[in-house]
Amino acid sequence: MRPSISQRVRSVIEIQSLTKRFGDTVVVDDISLTVDEGTISVFVGTSGAGKSTLLRMINRLIEPTSGRVLIDGQDTMAIPEDDLRHRIGYVIQGYGLFPHRTVSENIATVPRLLGWDKKRIAARVEELLDLFQLDSGEFARKYPHELSGGQQQRVGVARALAAKPALLLMDEPFGALDPVIRHKAQDDLLAIQRRLGTTIMLVTHDMDEAFHLGDKIAVMDQARLLQYATPAELLTRPAEEFVEKLVGTAERPFRLLALGKVREAVEPGAATGKPVSASATLREALSQLLWMGREKLPVVDADGTPLGRISIGGILAHGRQPA
Amino acid sequence: MSAGPILWRLAALVLLVVFITKPELFAPLFEPLTINNAPAIYNQGSLLSLTLAHLGTVFSAALASAIIAVTLGIFVTRPSGLEFLPLSRSLVNIGQTFPPIAVLAIAVPLVGFGEKPTLIALFLYGLLPIFENTLSGLTQVSPLTLEAAKGMGMSLRRRLMEVELPLALPVILAGIRLSVVISLGTATIGSTVAAKGLGEVIIAGLQSNNMAFILQGGLVVALLAVLTSDALMAVERFAARKLGQSPS
Ligand SMILES: Nc1ncnc2c1ncn2[C@@H]1O[C@H](COP(=O)(O)OP(=O)(O)O)[C@@H](O)[C@H]1O
Ligand SMILES: [Mg+2]
Repeated sequence: MRPSISQRVRSVIEIQSLTKRFGDTVVVDDISLTVDEGTISVFVGTSGAGKSTLLRMINRLIEPTSGRVLIDGQDTMAIPEDDLRHRIGYVIQGYGLFPHRTVSENIATVPRLLGWDKKRIAARVEELLDLFQLDSGEFARKYPHELSGGQQQRVGVARALAAKPALLLMDEPFGALDPVIRHKAQDDLLAIQRRLGTTIMLVTHDMDEAFHLGDKIAVMDQARLLQYATPAELLTRPAEEFVEKLVGTAERPFRLLALGKVREAVEPGAATGKPVSASATLREALSQLLWMGREKLPVVDADGTPLGRISIGGILAHGRQPA
Repeated sequence: MSAGPILWRLAALVLLVVFITKPELFAPLFEPLTINNAPAIYNQGSLLSLTLAHLGTVFSAALASAIIAVTLGIFVTRPSGLEFLPLSRSLVNIGQTFPPIAVLAIAVPLVGFGEKPTLIALFLYGLLPIFENTLSGLTQVSPLTLEAAKGMGMSLRRRLMEVELPLALPVILAGIRLSVVISLGTATIGSTVAAKGLGEVIIAGLQSNNMAFILQGGLVVALLAVLTSDALMAVERFAARKLGQSPS
């Protein structure tokens, strides 16, 4: 969870009463929300809820019927649309890599549009290949059809980040990956986002993904925003029955435990057995306790210093509905 | 490409060049086809200059067809031109369904005998394959790629020049090749309206009942068609490789 140092967090994206109608159908219905700088907001909802339309109104691929989008206080309608898009990274399901351009050329797209000089572009491409663990010697000159799905995904995100955008829009960016690679790709994105501090708005229909990645989650249904809150709030104080259902009542305690860290449930005292890391999630600790048939296990921090112990009872208290 | 086909093509090219520059060397081969001591080798003009004229007509017509058909194909695939798609399709189709010989018949009273009516007929006849291939090349560009291009802030012009046309190029080139190859054969009818070309050899053969002439004209046209088609196919492969497409 994000620290709540509210003064320091500048609001980057303000969405004000954004509405889109196609003919008589309302596809996005009067949505307002604020995305804080350096955070990931995940938009979830069933297919057809209007998530993609909302996202595409931010970089003006779709013109809103009414309402406004402000980036750092500036109305996006006041910025020429191509200039706006140079400042906003965009990743779609399937990525849309240029099949006739090499990995390097794909990544260089926006810097080239911005007229960076060759040396600066080359250096930036190297930096990104490195960041995304794509060996430059092996991949720089490859064409997209020569890459695996996971590699294409990384090139897609690297391309979107090339000109250091203030905001990254991602529409089901992991949707084309198989489950095993998907989880790893999500972890990688999270690590890169924490490192670069990029503000991300991400669309998905996968609840696990939303809980895995979201600093905040926006639940949408039938063009409306039902709730926009932290994952913990969504679990403990769902605004509507639909949110509760979508979150999954059976999963609820486990999702909650996955949000908490062992550090928050450490008790004084000693225990024997394989120690649990203080930075592990409570869900991971519980699963380790159950698997090893233990009541308690010792807790250590990153450098191995003992901090105390963790118990099944102590963990369960964190997975319980708040009074 | 393996060495075999290359050797065959080289042999065909050598045969063609020798035949149109020194046709008399082949006289013994064609003699059995003549009767009443008729000449075995076409003797009413130089085969070389007829071949060059033939190629000149075909390539100028193809160039004009390509410019018009590609431009039209681009226009009707833009949002502003979409409504003209059905109209231009039928116009171009008329060009194809109208027999070239009928075009000649109509064009001669308007523009006179000679090169011009042939150029008009070949131009009209060559539009369809290029237009259709331009359309299919441009429309088969993945919508995801275009969405990404637009989302990254590429202008309409850049999207066309840097994404759509390069990706459609191999298909467009295939259309041009088709058009050129068809025209190489079709151009022979131009000789009926006094255009300079290889049709003259065939018509002379028909008029004097000289099988040797007919065969010579046919042979040169056929060799031209095969070699041109091969050369243009090599260009297509080169373009596809340049564009990172796997050879298909
Ligand atoms: N250009 C359009 N014209 C008409 N209806 C559209 C258009 N684009 C999207 N829609 C409709 O808007 C609704 C929301 O679409 P979308 O934003 O893509 O949903 P999601 O991304 O949540 O699945 C869908 O019912 C879709 O059919
Ligand atoms: Mg969608």
